[in-house]
Amino acid sequence: MLPDTDGYDVCLRIKSNGATAPIPVIFLSARGEVVDKVRGLSCGAADYITKPFQAAELLARIDAVLGHARNPRAPRLVRSTERAAGERPVVRVAIADPPLATHVGQLLAPRFEIGAPEAPADVVVVEGNAAVPADLNEDLPIVRVTAGRASEDRPDLTPVDGQLARIVDLVVRERRLDSDLEAGAEALIVLASAIASHDRPGQGHGERVAARAVQIGRALGLDDSARMTIRLGALLKDVGNARLPASLLAKQGELTAEERAMLERHPLLGEEILGGFKRLSGLLPIVRHHHERLDGTGYPDGLRAEQIPLEVRIVTVADRFEALLTDRPDRPGVSGTEAIRVLQASVSRGELDAAVVAALATQVRSTGGG
Amino acid sequence: MTKPAQKAATKMVPMHETDAERRHEHRFQVPENIARLVMRTTASNLPLSRDDRPYQWSSTTYCDTIDWSIYRAAETGSAMQLRIREYHRTRPLVVMSPGTAWIEFKDDEQDTSLKERYGVPMEVARSFVHGDPRSLDLDHGLAERASRLLRAGARPVVVTQYNRLAYSALDSSLRITADHNLMYFALPWEAATDREEPTPLGTLLSMEPNVIVEMKWYGELPHWAVDLHQYLKENTKEERPSKFIVAIRWLLGQNGREAK
Repeated sequence: MLPDTDGYDVCLRIKSNGATAPIPVIFLSARGEVVDKVRGLSCGAADYITKPFQAAELLARIDAVLGHARNPRAPRLVRSTERAAGERPVVRVAIADPPLATHVGQLLAPRFEIGAPEAPADVVVVEGNAAVPADLNEDLPIVRVTAGRASEDRPDLTPVDGQLARIVDLVVRERRLDSDLEAGAEALIVLASAIASHDRPGQGHGERVAARAVQIGRALGLDDSARMTIRLGALLKDVGNARLPASLLAKQGELTAEERAMLERHPLLGEEILGGFKRLSGLLPIVRHHHERLDGTGYPDGLRAEQIPLEVRIVTVADRFEALLTDRPDRPGVSGTEAIRVLQASVSRGELDAAVVAALATQVRSTGGG
Repeated sequence: MTKPAQKAATKMVPMHETDAERRHEHRFQVPENIARLVMRTTASNLPLSRDDRPYQWSSTTYCDTIDWSIYRAAETGSAMQLRIREYHRTRPLVVMSPGTAWIEFKDDEQDTSLKERYGVPMEVARSFVHGDPRSLDLDHGLAERASRLLRAGARPVVVTQYNRLAYSALDSSLRITADHNLMYFALPWEAATDREEPTPLGTLLSMEPNVIVEMKWYGELPHWAVDLHQYLKENTKEERPSKFIVAIRWLLGQNGREAK
C-alpha cells in the first residue's frame, strides 16, 4: 500500500496535469475485485494487473501499452536552424520507394538543396499518407505527393510532375512570409517596450505580464495560436500610452478626474495605432478591453462577463498580478501569495474570472509564492 | 476568438424526474476502509442502483452569478442549486460534451433537499444554462426559480468529478452512495463566442482524500440503516457542507488552507 495516498489518487494527479497526462499508467495492485479494476481503468489507467503477478506478463503488458502510447513524431523543443537569405532552401525527401524518391529529387534539384537525413530542412516531401520522420520539427511544412495523377478525391496530394518544384517553392515562400511577419510584430513590440520603459517606472512590466499570461493560458489548455495572441496582446496592450502626454504618465500622486479620463483612453488609442496592421487584428480585443471587469465596472466600454473573451481576461489578471508585485510611489510591492489574496478578493466582488485567478494561484503556489 | 454560436431554440419535452416530497439527506466524509465496510453492509441490504453504472464518472457543472449570489445563499443554509450532470465510463477532460445531459435543480436545506432533473440533449442544456430558457418548456416548481437565476446571469463556474457507487431501494425510498476520487475544477467564465464546443476543465482546485458517503431517504429509515447511519456519524471526519459549497470555497480561496 502507498503511504498517505493510493494508486487512484496518483493516477488521477498524473492524468489531470497536461504535462504528465500522456504518460501511460498501469495499476499493479493486490486489490483484485472487479469494482477495483473498473475504478482503476475509469481513472485513466491503460491496464490493471493484480498481485501476485508474473514478470514476463508485466513486461509484455508494458510493451503493449508503450506501443499504443508512442508518438510517431517525437516532440521537438528546438526549431530547425533558419537559413541566411540567398541560400537555397533545403528539401528533405522522405519517400521509402527508391525510384520515386530519386525522381522527386531530380525534379527538385534545380531549385533546392536536397537535404541528407538528419540535416535541417525547410520543407519535407512524403508519399501519400506516410508518416513524417520522427526527427523532423513538428512545425515543418509537408508536401504530400502521389506517383499517380491529380485526383479530386485527394486534393491534398501533389502529383510528381513538372509542377512539383513550383508548389514546393510556394510552400517555402509562404513559410518565410509568416516568419517575416512574425519578425515585423517583434519589431513593433520592441518599439512599444522602448516607449513603455521611457514612460513607466516598472521597466519590463510588459514582458513579465506577457510571460505570466502565457503561463496561465497554457494551464487553461489554450493552443499555441491563442497563446501567441495573448503574448502579443500583453506586450502591446499599453501602446496607446505613446499618444498620451509624457507628463501625465510620469505624474506621481492622485490624478484629477480629467487626467484619469485621459489616461483611460489609452486602450482606444492603442487600438487606433494597431488597427492598421491587418496581421494584428486578432489581438485588438486585448488592447481595447484589458481594463474591463466582469461586473461591467471597467473601461472603456463597460463590457460584462460573457462579452469579454477569455484571452482578454487572462491578460487582465496577469497585468494586475504583476502590478501588485511591483513597488509604486504610493505603495510597496507585495508577495505573490498576498497578491493572489488581493485578486481573490476581486473575484469575490465579481471583477475577475475566478478560474483564471485559480490557474494563476496554482502556479504561484508551485513556485513557492513567487 | 471564435465566431458566435447559433442559439438552439428547440422546444422539447424532456425526461423528467421530480422528488415528490422533501428528502432527508446526510453526508459523511469517511476514510476508504470505513467506506468499504459501509458499502458492503449496504450491498447486503440494497440492490445496485439500476440507473448508475458502478464507478462511472459523474461530472457536475455548477452555475453561479458573477457576484456569487447562489453560493452566498448556500452558506446561510438554504439555497437553490443549478447544475448540469453528465455520466462517462472514463474520466473526461471536458464538460458539456455531446450526449444526454441532466439539468438539475436542487433546493438544499439543513437536513433535507428537493430535486428536479430533466434529461435533455447537451445542446439544449448548453443553451439553457447560457440564458435561453426558451429551449425548455419549464414554467413550474424549481425550474421556474432556476430560470430566474439564469436571467440574473447565473452561468457555469465550477465542476466536480467523482466515481460513484450507488445502491438504491427499488421504491427509491432509500439511496446510499459512495463518491470516490472527488475532484474540484475551476471553469473559466464562458464568453458569448465559446458555446459550440465542449468546455475544457480549468485548474484542479483540490482532490478529496476521503470518500463521501451520502444517505438519502424518505420517511423512516429501516433498522439496519439506522445502525449504519449511527456508525457513519461516529466515524465521519467532519460535518460536510455540499460539494457545491466546498468547490466554491476552493475557487474563491476561502477554505482557510492551501489547496492540495
